[in-house]
Amino acid sequence: MRYLFLSLLMVLSLPLGSLAGYREEFEREFLSKPWAGEQMEEDACIACHVAEKMDPKFRNIPQSWKMSIHYQHNVSCHHCHGGDPKDAEMSMSRERGFVGTPKYAEVPEFCGKCHVGILKNYLESGHGKALKSTGKGPNCVTCHGSHKDEQYIKKAHIDIINERLCSKCHSYERAKIMKQTLFLTEKKMGALDEGFSRLKAEGVYIEEEEKALFNIQAEFRTLFHTVDVSLVKERTDEFVKKLEPIEMKVKNTFHELRFRRNFSAFLMLLFAGMGIVVFVLSRPPRE
Amino acid sequence: MGVGRKIRDWFEVRIGLDDFANVQFREFRVPRNVNVFHTLGLVTVVAYMIQVITGILLLVYYVPHPDFAFKSVQEIMNTVSFGWLLRQMHVVGSSLMVIVVFLHMASVFFMGGYRKPREMTWAVGGLMFLITLVFCLSGYLLPWTQLSYWATTVVTSIPTAFPFIGDFISRVLRGGEYVTGITLGRFFALHVSILPLIFLFLMVLHIFFVKRTGLSTPPFGVSSGQQNPWTAYRRETHPDGYPFYPYFVRKEIFMGMLYLTVMFFFITFFPTLFLPEEANTPADPLRTPSQIRPEWYFLAPYQMLKLIPNKFIGITLQLILVAVFLLWPFLDTKKEPNILKRPVLKTVFFLALIILAVLTIWGNYR
Repeated sequence: MRYLFLSLLMVLSLPLGSLAGYREEFEREFLSKPWAGEQMEEDACIACHVAEKMDPKFRNIPQSWKMSIHYQHNVSCHHCHGGDPKDAEMSMSRERGFVGTPKYAEVPEFCGKCHVGILKNYLESGHGKALKSTGKGPNCVTCHGSHKDEQYIKKAHIDIINERLCSKCHSYERAKIMKQTLFLTEKKMGALDEGFSRLKAEGVYIEEEEKALFNIQAEFRTLFHTVDVSLVKERTDEFVKKLEPIEMKVKNTFHELRFRRNFSAFLMLLFAGMGIVVFVLSRPPRE
Repeated sequence: MGVGRKIRDWFEVRIGLDDFANVQFREFRVPRNVNVFHTLGLVTVVAYMIQVITGILLLVYYVPHPDFAFKSVQEIMNTVSFGWLLRQMHVVGSSLMVIVVFLHMASVFFMGGYRKPREMTWAVGGLMFLITLVFCLSGYLLPWTQLSYWATTVVTSIPTAFPFIGDFISRVLRGGEYVTGITLGRFFALHVSILPLIFLFLMVLHIFFVKRTGLSTPPFGVSSGQQNPWTAYRRETHPDGYPFYPYFVRKEIFMGMLYLTVMFFFITFFPTLFLPEEANTPADPLRTPSQIRPEWYFLAPYQMLKLIPNKFIGITLQLILVAVFLLWPFLDTKKEPNILKRPVLKTVFFLALIILAVLTIWGNYR
């Protein structure tokens, strides 16, 4: 039998001899398969911006982007700036839709390509009107940040309304009232977001609820981009009501998870108890 | 006369139940130094039965199509009454089954239970272990999640390490160049119809061999067992041993309860251990997760492949190791049955276990 095995071993090892000159080609072939393993997405923008030859003031952009809300939602360089990230030579070609960095006054339209509803409300607001008329009013990045100067684009949050930021242009009083008006609804949304994270960690799929919350948040935030306190006050109840079914669903899901844990613990103790009884009974018979 | 008694008598007259029970359970004796590891074979049967029952119940709601697979699994988890329990039992059970079969084989090896005349019992058991792994691999893809999709992508890319035929094997497994709905269909058929039949056949064969050769006596402890050379067929019996029923049956029931306790321990305290967040995200072939790794029982061979610079040598080495594992009883011709008296074999055995553990942990954290 040993000889049979040794023969088998030799037969299996024979192709090893054919490896001369084959190895490199094979390794390349194996590793370059799209499904062969961990794949790094090719991105000419990032490759250039992190390179040594890049102007230091632009070199930090990929890092800032990775910290941004856009990165979290898979919004990449070309989604905003155009161009072709798969082709380094043509990556900044106008033919491939490259638009580069917008001028200060063009920023709202630049962001508004995706944030359509918010653009409309912003343009109708005091902020938007100031920018349009004087070219100096606050644009999107004034409050939300960009990837310039060590900043990163933050998730829209009530804390963006703060004395330090608002006082750059005007007194904080009106903004403070707006923040107080938004507080309750924003707090509910924050709590739901946190609940979703915990549910996800517990293995619950809540895509539908996430989408519903996202839509409500988007609608609510278009509302307060008008910077109209009375309008926000008027419609806050409407949004609170819209959040109620999602809150109920989250609450019920947590309840269900508790029930599952308790039920499974009961089964565990039941089988453990039965095991102990059987163990006590299973001593060797007396001689 | 009670109804129960009447039913029993009805069967007794026709098939001689009492005689069967006497021969198979009461008169059948197990060695006096039998230990809990001897019960792992039956625990494997229990584990397999749990997988079959929960699997059939999951099958009632599962839809093997890329557009519906994930949704149907979510329905099972969130809408179907106690669907979560069935799925958790099936998921946790699959990992526990690998552990139980592995422990069974390791203990048989340690106690020299693979030696003549039990070579075929060992080889069939080894095949069952491999089939269990294929079961896990094929079942892993079915929920069609990011985790399962990419883990399957990694595992099915391993055969490409073989020159000339590697791509072909991978294509056959996937039904194309990538993991697609065709792969899902193939894995589904494999998981629910082909593998159970093969496993059942091997299990029957394995039990048949065990029954024909008798229970092996551990080479250490109070009884040293039969030492005469095996030149003609004889069944190993233990006339001075303990009765199979009730002594050994109770031991087996205890281990069955322990298995279920461990299963529900994991479901209670670590419900997401085998179902992390990525196992809760629908498969997206266009979005590669930052970390892809196969399920824990494939981590050791996967890590080994990563460490060996040449993939072909890596996979050839692994096939040789599998061949050694299956054919070991034919290679081990030493007379000494006690592994404790064989320092080389003892060292190799523990070294292999340590390497396996290190590679698994390494594969998990790299």
